Amino acid sequence: MGNIRNKMGTFIVVILSLAFMLFWLFPYLYLISSAFKPGSEVISIPAKFFPTHLSVENFSDLFDRIQVFKYMGNSFITAVLSTIIAVILGSLASYAISRSGAKLSVLLVVLVLCLKMIPTSSIAVPIYEIITNMGLYDTRIALIVVYAAINIPFVMWIMISFYKGIPISLDEAACVDGASNFYTFRKIILPICLPGIATSAIFTLLLSWNDFLISLLLTSINAKTFTVGLSEFLSAYSMDLGPMCAGAFIFSFPVIILSIVAQKYIIRGMTAGSIKG
Amino acid sequence: MRIISRKTLIMFFLPCAIFMGIFLVYPILKMISDSLYTFDITGIKSFVGFDNYIKAFTTTSFLLPLKNTAKYMVIAVTTELFFGLIMALLFEHQFKGNKIIRSFILIPLMIAPLVAGLIWKLMLSSQFGIVNQILQNLHIIKDTNSILWLADEKWALLACTFADIWLTTPFMMLMILAGLQGVDTSIIEAAKIDGANKLQQIFSIKIPNIKPVLLTALSIRIIDAARTFDIIWVMTQGGPNSSSEVISVVIYRTLTRYNKAGYASAMAVIFIIILVIFTLVFMKSLWKPKSE
Repeated sequence: MGNIRNKMGTFIVVILSLAFMLFWLFPYLYLISSAFKPGSEVISIPAKFFPTHLSVENFSDLFDRIQVFKYMGNSFITAVLSTIIAVILGSLASYAISRSGAKLSVLLVVLVLCLKMIPTSSIAVPIYEIITNMGLYDTRIALIVVYAAINIPFVMWIMISFYKGIPISLDEAACVDGASNFYTFRKIILPICLPGIATSAIFTLLLSWNDFLISLLLTSINAKTFTVGLSEFLSAYSMDLGPMCAGAFIFSFPVIILSIVAQKYIIRGMTAGSIKG
Repeated sequence: MRIISRKTLIMFFLPCAIFMGIFLVYPILKMISDSLYTFDITGIKSFVGFDNYIKAFTTTSFLLPLKNTAKYMVIAVTTELFFGLIMALLFEHQFKGNKIIRSFILIPLMIAPLVAGLIWKLMLSSQFGIVNQILQNLHIIKDTNSILWLADEKWALLACTFADIWLTTPFMMLMILAGLQGVDTSIIEAAKIDGANKLQQIFSIKIPNIKPVLLTALSIRIIDAARTFDIIWVMTQGGPNSSSEVISVVIYRTLTRYNKAGYASAMAVIFIIILVIFTLVFMKSLWKPKSE
């Protein structure tokens, strides 16, 4: 009896999980199918899920309308460089803090939380002013430094939880053996913390890649990123949903591949600080 | 033993501090000081004290978005918590294909909010949107124009929460699942022996045990939902008739369209203060279990 009930239970669980999966996959699958529809079919009435025949019309439209490679390039370069800066500066600083006494690290955690709370749109004005005063408006450098600065608190947050897990005796041993702080950090601590580095790098990369508001504010022609280019299909002509879908697909597909490949790190980054605190 | 000398501490920390100082802390300080000034068209600023704040609290152009933000936050976060909890409880069971199904559900996790907004805008459009078509096929609505998701004041804000819910329920699920997996199995075994049924196990043992995780997940989501900009900007731009306007959108508009840096800053400061107080209350109960 119990066995049958158990099997029934598992059956219900599987069915429910599948239902949730379909529900959560549906919007994205719809985006993909719309991207491959012929242009006019995207806005056909009544709406259909499947394209009558596959077409790359939307993609060629997209390439005609916006400079896909340039915007993608901007998104990519700014995301990668800001990630490198944020990870290097953040991991160094948080190492120093985690090994220098508890008071400072508590203060930092509070600071990081506060910085996370600030709506980006609210510090947008002063950031805009600083960037313009530096003569960096509409340059990739502007985006790189701002993304890096915004993501550093997150990198520190992740890295501190990793450093906490490493016994200080390890650092002490290296110190006794005459290793410099930097040598200890680079050769001993960093290799152990590689998962942490990977986690914070992936997050910083994706957050910068996905950013819309800062790029909207700080760029106009040269440094415009793909998200801003994509949003332009909306405001002016509402009939351009076809190329927009194609663009959204091109833009998000690498992210999805990356997040499946690196799921372990993403899960770790999301749950960091909540399990062990 | 002191591992890090003061000199090294400064060397390691300084580059980072300078960076955050210029691009993060200074803007925040500037925002606070700006909130006490007004700027005319030529950029000359004049001190007005707390006038901007008084103005914010007496006009609907601030109070309405504040209400909308709260509504958006409550609807989105509670729905996400609800579905996240159900999914986490499902995936806690070990069954064949568990991991694969979970991976698929996690797909929205890292998609840009902008893209999520675009997808839902497409799906919710009144005539050629697939959502209304499905609802019509199921005979829930009479024809596809019955619900104008994005053009009707009644629905616009709710429609925007759909994108948010789709995008971040997987996050909620992940957090809760991580919490559930950390619950000591012996407690649950003991409860089973004592004859606790599934529901009792969930409500009297599992949920109380994952309270810290729940609170963390909730406070992260509350902050993020309150800051939402991309989704709303893409789906409705705050319309129709300001019915889906949230704080971030108003601040952005006040800034870029109306060029009122002072007023925008004051709104931002008020908003941050409200958010900080709200979160501190949350965090207080969050840190409690750890202080024992």
